[in-house]
Order: sequence, then C-alpha cells, then structure tokens
Amino acid sequence: MSNKEKYNDVFKRVFLVDDSQLGDGFEFGKIKEWDSVAHMKLISELEDEFDIMFDTDDILHYGSYANGIKILSKMGIEM
Amino acid sequence: MFLDIDRFERNHIAIHDDSNTVVTYGELSDFVQVIAKYNLKRSIVFTLCGNEAGALAGYVAFESCKLVPLLMSADIDEKLLDDLDKTYEPQYYWVKETESGSFKGKKIYSCFGYCLIRTVYDFYEINDKLSLLMMTSGSTGSPKLVRYKYGNLENNALNVAKVFGWTPKENCIMDLPMQYTMGLNVINSHLCVGATVLLIKSNLMSAAFWDFIRENHGTNFTGVPYSYEIMLKLRFTRMKLPDLYTLAEGGGKLTDDVFKTLADYAAQNGKRFCATFGTTETSARMAFLDPEEAENRIGSIGKAIPGGRLYLVDDEGVELEDDEARGELCYDGPNVTMGYGICKADLLKDDEWNGTYHTGDIARRDKDGFYYIVGRKSRFLKLYGLRISLDQAERVIKSEYNCECACSGNDKEMYIYVTDGEIAKELPGFLSKKFNIIASTFRTRVVGQILKNSTGKIMYKKMDESWENDGQQA
Repeated sequence: MSNKEKYNDVFKRVFLVDDSQLGDGFEFGKIKEWDSVAHMKLISELEDEFDIMFDTDDILHYGSYANGIKILSKMGIEM
Repeated sequence: MFLDIDRFERNHIAIHDDSNTVVTYGELSDFVQVIAKYNLKRSIVFTLCGNEAGALAGYVAFESCKLVPLLMSADIDEKLLDDLDKTYEPQYYWVKETESGSFKGKKIYSCFGYCLIRTVYDFYEINDKLSLLMMTSGSTGSPKLVRYKYGNLENNALNVAKVFGWTPKENCIMDLPMQYTMGLNVINSHLCVGATVLLIKSNLMSAAFWDFIRENHGTNFTGVPYSYEIMLKLRFTRMKLPDLYTLAEGGGKLTDDVFKTLADYAAQNGKRFCATFGTTETSARMAFLDPEEAENRIGSIGKAIPGGRLYLVDDEGVELEDDEARGELCYDGPNVTMGYGICKADLLKDDEWNGTYHTGDIARRDKDGFYYIVGRKSRFLKLYGLRISLDQAERVIKSEYNCECACSGNDKEMYIYVTDGEIAKELPGFLSKKFNIIASTFRTRVVGQILKNSTGKIMYKKMDESWENDGQQA
C-alpha cells in the first residue's frame, strides 16, 4: 500500500468518509465530525501507521487533510 | 440571588468566554434583576447550552428566579429534542439568538446573544423543591432526567470550593460542557467565591485553546480522563504554563500510569494534582484526594468532601464497618438529588433519595480510609466521561433495527455483537448520532449467533473471549 493510500485509510477510518470526500476542502472547522476526540484519534492513528511522533505545534496546527500531507513530508514521509 | 453572586466586587470578571464576551459580577447581577422583573411563573426552561456567557448567564438567572432549567447541548439530536419537548412541554426556551428561528413561540427578551422564548405550552404544577433537571449521559429514546432540589447545587459548590481552597483570584479553565454535571460544578464552585470562569468552546487540540488560557492566566483546569490523554499526547508537561497551579480530574478512572504521571509532574513542578469523584445524581462531586497523597495513593478518589459521608455496603445493603473493606460505594450528603424523572408527572414527585445515593460502583477502602473504585455493579461504560448504559444501547439498537444484539466493551470502546453484516455497517454512524460520541468508538462484531445461557441471559464474557480467541472474524 502506498503512503497516500495509508494516509487516506486513516482519514476514512476516523471520519467514516470515502476517497471522494478527501481533498483540499477537508479542513478542521469545516468538517463537523472533526472535534477534539476525532483529532486525537487521527493523530494517534497516523503516529501508529507511519511510526512517527508529532510535535505539539504540528498537532495543534494540523488544520487540514492537505496541510497534514505537508507536515508528514517534513518528517520524511512523501506521498 | 443564586450563589449570592451580588455580594462580589462589581467590576470583577465572572465569565470570560472565548467568543469574546466578558461579563462582570455587576453585569451578571443586573441581568438577573432584569429577568426577575418579568415575574415569570414557575416553569420549565429548555436551556440549549454552548460554552458561552449567554448560556451560563441564563442558567444563573433561572436558578435565581426559581425557574427550572433543563440543561442540554445546543447540538442535541433533533429527534431527541422533539421527544423531550413533547414529554415535558416546557413553557420557555433559552437559545442562541441566531438559532431562534427554529423555535416556535414568542421572543420575550434577548441578552448576551441568547433569547428567551415563550412556547405555546400551558403552565403546570411542579414540585416546590425542584430546582434543575439534568440529563443522564448522552442518552436516547426516553432519556432519564435527574431531579435536583434547592440546595444541591449551592451546597456542592461551597463544599467543593472549600476543599480546593478557591478564592476570587482563580481563573478556572472550563472546557467541559456546562450541561455536563462536573462542568457545571466547576462553574458553580468558582462563582460561589467570586472567581472568574474562563468558558471555552475551542477544543483542547486547537492552538486557540492554549492561546486563550495563556492570555487569560488560567490557574486551574478540570478534565475527564480523556482530556488528560489528549494533554499527554500534546506533551503538555513540557509546556510553559506558569499560571496553571491546579490540575483536577473527575468523570471516570484514569489509568494508573496516567495518574502517576500527573501526580509526579505536579509534585516536580510546584503544582498540585487533585483526583475527584462524582456523578450527576450527586450534583457532581462526592470525593476529593488531597494532592499531598496523590503520589502515594495512585488511583484513589480520596475521601468524602466536606459535608458528605462515603461508606461501603455489602450485597444485602449492610454497611461494612471494618477499616479495610470492599463493597458498593454509597454517599450521604446535601448534594444528593431527589431521584429520576422520565415523564412530566415525575416533576411533581418529592424527594425519593433523602440524601443517600448508592453509586453502583464497587470500591475498596484502605486502612487509612482512602477509597478506590475497583469495578461496577451494573453494566455501563464510561466513554469520554459519559456514563453509557450497555442495556440501554441494546434497547436503542433493537428498537431501530428490530434485531438481536449484545453490547459489551471497556471505557475506550463499545463492542456490538450482531448477526447481520448489513446492520453492522450502519451501527457506528447510528450510535454516534444517538450518543453524540465519535463513530469509531463503536466496534461492531458480526457473529453467527448471540450466545445465551440456559435461562436466556446473554453470555457477554463468553462472547468477548471467543471473539478474541478466534481472531477478528470478518
């Protein structure tokens, strides 16, 4: 499975969405289900999936599906 | 006036919310006086709460004017709200001005972005002692309400303020929902001493939350176990939070690891960690662990708060007198509410509990008199601080899908056994909506049959074991 597929799978599991809903518009604040509980779940699952540990700032400013890809790329995970 | 808030320094801030509304004690008292001038008849007020000054000010005014609020989330499921409306026929609604279009009735008064709406329902008699109605857990169908009497909130506020040593200098960080019993108690225990409530809507995982509490010098924080899981994930122990002195916990059991981490962090950083224990039925807090004891009594809920008494009873309900003992945890105190209500007629009922509450939790008492929760008598989970009855979850599923099911789980996840794969697919979304908890909390397990013993009782343990042993069958 590619990194992108793994990344999408985590979002699909946490938010119960399908691929078509994921993209630039998938942002914290726009998605009703994206509350602190979902965010915690998202962060934990991404950490487990990619075997990484986010900085506090990255967790607090994660912001969106798209920005998350940038943060992961900064950590050496390319998609 | 509720909690005698009119005796405090008029210019001191009572409520500061993160939508930028600031209300001083003077302004809050004036607002209460204005509502009082309407001379509203004793009635039920559906109060749709968000963590905003307007919602809180409304509640303070209703308590002061002897109206009876039913506190509920502004995000309440529409069908549930409709059921409650038909069941209790509230004479008033207190809702956000911007949402007022969805409510039928006459707008009487607006303030702080909220407005009071008179519905078409007639007035009816309610018990003289009835002061407040709270919902038990995130529940559904015919939700059970807890009936509070005058004195419950006030006594618990004062006794909790006393045990924490709150003064007007505190700025409490309140991100728990105000319609959640412990959140409400955190608010009351600060308002009753003239302290400031920082009422926060933004979530713990957002930068806005941390900026707000730093800028406004939050001095104490109260969280449920899940709040602390988030904070540890954010590695808050490495953050600079010089104003934050007290970390309080309640609403469920921390793991021993997390408990120890917090106790050690507090001890090493000149802060204090206070574990507490409470329920909706006792206007929140019953027990408090002296922070000096935290490092040596990992997992303890401490001892009874001032004015209350904790004790243990055996299966026959007889009090256990030995120093060290194990049994059902019970509590006597002025914060024990009157009982439950499931229909309009119940609002006339008198006090059924008379100051004594049996918690349904099994606890252990050590030789020095400190209590530890070790298990439960009845089948419920505490998910994100909410008490969720497994039997109720089963009822909700059965009534919607007309299928057999069995619910079990732990305080992180609920397991739902069903035999129909199609229903299983829909369940997480359905239950999420019903209980207002993230869908991934609900794990469905499709099985060949729901296992029962010879008397027809579901064998939950056996189902859990065989699922785990056989691997995760698809």
